[in-house]
Amino acid sequence: MAATEEIELAGPLQGSRYRPSPRRLVGQAILHLVLLVMSFVSVTPFVWMIFASFKHFQELVRSTALLPKVWTLENYIEIIGRVNFPAAFSNSTIQATSVTLCSALTSAALGFIFAKYRFWGKEKLFTLLLSTMMIPFAVVLVPLYITIADLKMSNHLSGIIVTGLWSSFGLFLMRQFMESIPSELLDAARIDGASEWRIFFTIVLPMATSALAALIVFIFLFNWDNFLWPLVVLNSPEKQTLPLVLAGLRSLYWTRYEMWAAGSMLTVVPVMLIYIFASKYFIRGLAMTGLKA
Amino acid sequence: MTTAYTAGSQGQSGSRLRGIVAAVRWALRKPQFWFGASIILPTLIWYWMFSFRPILNALRLAVVQYRVLNPAASKFVGLDNFFQLFEHPLFFISVRNTLLWAALAFVFILPLSIFIATCLANIRRGRNTYQAIIFVPVVVSLVAVSLLFRMLMDPEVGMFNQILRALHLPESRWLAGTSSALPTIVAVGSWKGLGFYVVILTAGILHIPEELYDAALVDGANEWQRFWRITLPLLGHTLLLVTVLLAIGTLQEFTFPFVMTRGGPGDATYVYNMLIYSEAFEDLRFGTATAAALLQFVLILFISLVQIRLLRPRWSY
Repeated sequence: MAATEEIELAGPLQGSRYRPSPRRLVGQAILHLVLLVMSFVSVTPFVWMIFASFKHFQELVRSTALLPKVWTLENYIEIIGRVNFPAAFSNSTIQATSVTLCSALTSAALGFIFAKYRFWGKEKLFTLLLSTMMIPFAVVLVPLYITIADLKMSNHLSGIIVTGLWSSFGLFLMRQFMESIPSELLDAARIDGASEWRIFFTIVLPMATSALAALIVFIFLFNWDNFLWPLVVLNSPEKQTLPLVLAGLRSLYWTRYEMWAAGSMLTVVPVMLIYIFASKYFIRGLAMTGLKA
Repeated sequence: MTTAYTAGSQGQSGSRLRGIVAAVRWALRKPQFWFGASIILPTLIWYWMFSFRPILNALRLAVVQYRVLNPAASKFVGLDNFFQLFEHPLFFISVRNTLLWAALAFVFILPLSIFIATCLANIRRGRNTYQAIIFVPVVVSLVAVSLLFRMLMDPEVGMFNQILRALHLPESRWLAGTSSALPTIVAVGSWKGLGFYVVILTAGILHIPEELYDAALVDGANEWQRFWRITLPLLGHTLLLVTVLLAIGTLQEFTFPFVMTRGGPGDATYVYNMLIYSEAFEDLRFGTATAAALLQFVLILFISLVQIRLLRPRWSY
């Protein structure tokens, strides 16, 4: 570790005359050590779970080896056949995707309006919409359920989609970002005769790609993971989303840990795939909101 | 648009009316008006249906004895729901567990996340990679994490105890022990949430102007002094955000205890949100459930305001 450090630092920084002090190298080595330990702690449980999902029950509870001695796909086959994982998967996908697309679009449009338009009561309206973020979800849990039941949407996917079509957090994030788009650019487009819709879709949205990507990833994950609200709205097994079905494994397969592992893997893998490609947006987006708030 | 009209016509009402008509005409001709209206109008309708009206309804629900089958006949009972709540055998237990949860989460998360964030901010190579790896538990589904740690922490066959046994260390009952369950479950929650706070804090530290550290270096400050005299004080706004988010999050914990322990063993991990859930959807007492939720809102608001009052830095840079 220390050797590569030296080469890297000596090369591009200040030519061959630069020699990092030994003290500094030791310091960097300690930092790497701390972060390696932290990374290990963060990831190892998942690595264990990946291998556990390919083990037979007997092996899982007896052996401490990480890798399975006998690899098996039976866990996956049984769980997909017995528990309605394909249906849950499609429910989760439909719910998370539609909510994400809709609320990203409404957030972007509202962010654009609140950042660039002037109208009577703008700041008051903005504060009012954002203030809903302060209310704990438990406060609206029952009244919102009554609303959904009145709309005949309980025990139906639309009941958990309709409540996510707008997002106060998204509105806040997008407004912050849209403030930085130069108004001259929009005015130039207006003089050239572009309609507001066209300006929004061809100028504003492309310029906001990085913030939009962060928002999309956030909302998608939140919805993919959401537990309490689907738990309240969806009752029949074939309507349930992945987290609910997964939580149901606890009582269905009492201590059949290889089943738990296989089920968890089916839930986690899609999210991990997204994360591997989009982790950059995630971390940048979170850092951005943290600094602006 | 309205300012233009009020400045021009403050005289007689006739000209004022004409002014309004002119302003409206002018607004209707603007393309911005139509775009804005077609976005804002549905927004207002949605917010009214799914946010404002439920909030107002919550205030009403809290003071009636809600009849599920015939809501119109619900009787006004004043503060009875609150008194009923205080008499609930699990009320004080759940409040105590929830406050303990929040306090433990602060102890677990705050020092460690500041430490890791400082390391990340000072490292020269690989910051993004480390950050991405430490962030992984934040991304993974709560329910999957709950199941994963129940497997690892099984007192007999779980990996944790097997490792402790191999090292000849005393084993723990983890989630199955009455006194160990709450610290254990909070530790799992902290493990999952840590990366989130690390990323926010790292961004905050990197935001501190480099010149301050250079100046301190010239003045002969060592790393320890630079951390206590520059990093920590200048991190004030970020720290405030982190503590407020942490308090809001942990006081509303639900999924972890619900999936991992069902509040048990006994009522060792029974938190306030589980009380609200079971009042509402197991006992169908919508009134007391909403009263309990309002009480929670007041408490969270109070704690957030106290934090802002105590921790808000009186400067910015």
